[in-house]
Amino acid sequence: MANTLRFLIVDDFSTMRRIVRNLLKESGYTEADEAEDGVAALNKLRNSRFDFVVTDINMPNMNGFQLLAEIKSDEKLKHLPVLMVTAEARKEDIVAAAQGGAAGYIVKPFTKATLEEKVANILKKMGL
Amino acid sequence: MDTSDSTQSASHGDVTDVHQKIGHLTRQLHNALNELGYTERLRGTMGELPDAKSRLSYIARLTGEAAEKVLNRVELAKSEQDELASDTQAVKAALIKDPVRAVASGRLLNYLADVEKRTREADSHLTEIMMAQDFHDLTGQVIARVVSLAATIEEQLVQLVIQTAPNPVALQTPAPAPREHLAGPVVDPEHTPDVVTDQSQVDDLLASLGF
Repeated sequence: MANTLRFLIVDDFSTMRRIVRNLLKESGYTEADEAEDGVAALNKLRNSRFDFVVTDINMPNMNGFQLLAEIKSDEKLKHLPVLMVTAEARKEDIVAAAQGGAAGYIVKPFTKATLEEKVANILKKMGL
Repeated sequence: MDTSDSTQSASHGDVTDVHQKIGHLTRQLHNALNELGYTERLRGTMGELPDAKSRLSYIARLTGEAAEKVLNRVELAKSEQDELASDTQAVKAALIKDPVRAVASGRLLNYLADVEKRTREADSHLTEIMMAQDFHDLTGQVIARVVSLAATIEEQLVQLVIQTAPNPVALQTPAPAPREHLAGPVVDPEHTPDVVTDQSQVDDLLASLGF
């Protein structure tokens, strides 16, 4: 199942998008697309099929919290797991993400093992 | 009084006049700063400078660590590649000399197992080199904040010059800089309250919330 899941990686830094994409690929998740902010991400989510969203928080136009809120308030998208991968390390941000419906939260800088573990745990909880 | 005396006297008078003018301008500037509220604003901006210094130190540290990590991994990988190249030449020579013996002795099989192991190690080095590039994202966010601070100071100084000029030009009120809600990377975790410093603290916090 793992290799058929389609990921959307959202980050305003292309370096980070490439890193996450390569790490996912190494973990066997070969299907992925990228978006540079929340607006571009929503556009892609509403026009194509995705199974998992990995998003940064601090982005222009629409940040990760706003994207999370949009996803969770959209009947067609709210089932999607959203993993926040961010440099925002304030406790209030972590709590806000959890309360907003995020499936996981990773602080940058992170390791390959951390990303792999969080994605696997989320998929397990979803029964995938 | 001769001509030179009168010249000196006039010159002394000029210097006194200049001093008086400078004193007058200084007082005007001081009053203007107070009246316009710039004293507090400039003081407030200057208060952010130590933070900018801390952010620049953070950038220097992060880029330095990334460079070290990459160089360490490259050195390791190159050393392992050299060994592999040397082993390959030796096995090749053994195969040419006596192919049956090279296979029967298990040398070829051992070599292939070694290649498999070293390939995995090379992949690990490449992953670590890739991960080291995450400094670009983190430092990019911090640099954006320092640039924003520099722009604020510049803007305030320009406004000050405009307002205190002898013939003030029409004042353009600067649009207030958007207050960023998000804090960005934590550059000084020891002196920043209510932040997490590693992933285990995130996990503990989420676990305490029932996640």
